[in-house]
Amino acid sequence: MAGLGALAGIGAAAGMLPLFALEQTDMSAFSESPVPGKVRWGMLIDTRKCRDGCSGCVVRCHHDHNVPDFGKSKNEVKWIWKSRYEEAFPTASQQFQSPEVENRKVLTLCNHCAEPPCTRACPTEATFRRWDGIVSMDYHRCIGCRFCMAACPYGSRSFNWQDPRPAVRELSATYPTRERGVVEKCNFCSERLVKGLLPACVDSCTEKAMTFGDLNDPVSEIRALLASNETMQRKPELGTLPSVFYII
Amino acid sequence: MSNRISAILALLIAGAMFVAALLFMQSVHGASSALRAAAPVAVARQVPIDSTRCIASTVYMKSHHMQLLNQWRHDSVRKGNRAHVTSDGRRFDKSLNTCLGCHASNPMFCFMCHEYANVKPTCWNCHISPMEATR
Repeated sequence: MAGLGALAGIGAAAGMLPLFALEQTDMSAFSESPVPGKVRWGMLIDTRKCRDGCSGCVVRCHHDHNVPDFGKSKNEVKWIWKSRYEEAFPTASQQFQSPEVENRKVLTLCNHCAEPPCTRACPTEATFRRWDGIVSMDYHRCIGCRFCMAACPYGSRSFNWQDPRPAVRELSATYPTRERGVVEKCNFCSERLVKGLLPACVDSCTEKAMTFGDLNDPVSEIRALLASNETMQRKPELGTLPSVFYII
Repeated sequence: MSNRISAILALLIAGAMFVAALLFMQSVHGASSALRAAAPVAVARQVPIDSTRCIASTVYMKSHHMQLLNQWRHDSVRKGNRAHVTSDGRRFDKSLNTCLGCHASNPMFCFMCHEYANVKPTCWNCHISPMEATR
């Protein structure tokens, strides 16, 4: 009888495989309602390890998330990009800085602030701080007012002035695109986290310059690195409490 | 004679159990290796999935799929509650992809009816439609 039950189980297993999987989800994507504030995802970027001229993470992220390339800086859409040191840390001391650091390119992305100014500016709650600290976008609700772009002190948000679909170089079937008139930004790869995967940028970095983890977990790798290194946040004086940290 | 039949049956059942055990072990091993690869990320609780039948009756889905999709979006995006439990106890991921996992086998599934009813939902402005994926 147990054997027959097992046979029936195999039948069900064969039936549950989707015939045609578009945006792949798997069984690990199930979860009960999470406890708000229990987890706070964060990232530590070691700028010393980040190779000059390498843009592997940027290419990977922009491909995976169907980020359009309009070819002009005026209407540029970006989720993760490289900035000059003085652009990334404009309020940090620049005097007599080592020329090597001065010329260093710093990886910048949405900081997923603990006190995000953008979510306060949003009139429709299209952008909001999630239960796990990720500042998320619900593109269905975005009315394109761009208040969030004005509120963000890090320039992490981009606006789709045109239909982004034709400007996506190679359509990735695992993630939707956006439409004209919505703001978009980094989502800390929440679509990968739900499957138990690390963010695409962290995954793609050959130099292991990025560490991702739970800032609320005192024994996590990221907390150990934060405790043992001198780190910086972007514009800490604004009180936004960024979840992205840097080793210079 | 009946002895022989029961012996064959026992052998068959043992074989089936062996295959089931192998499958189970493989799935457990797969899950653990995925966990190890992404150590800092908490993996959601795994539950079996049964998509041999739709989450609700055809009549209900025809009239209410739009409300259901809106509710699913609200629950999964805003509350992080991704588990949909049907009235007969089966569990599904609250995602458009759950629907497309089966229904995209006919790329015209959504379009035929929407065309007939002359409704123009905005889903495919952003989500990759089955028509595009098969192109």
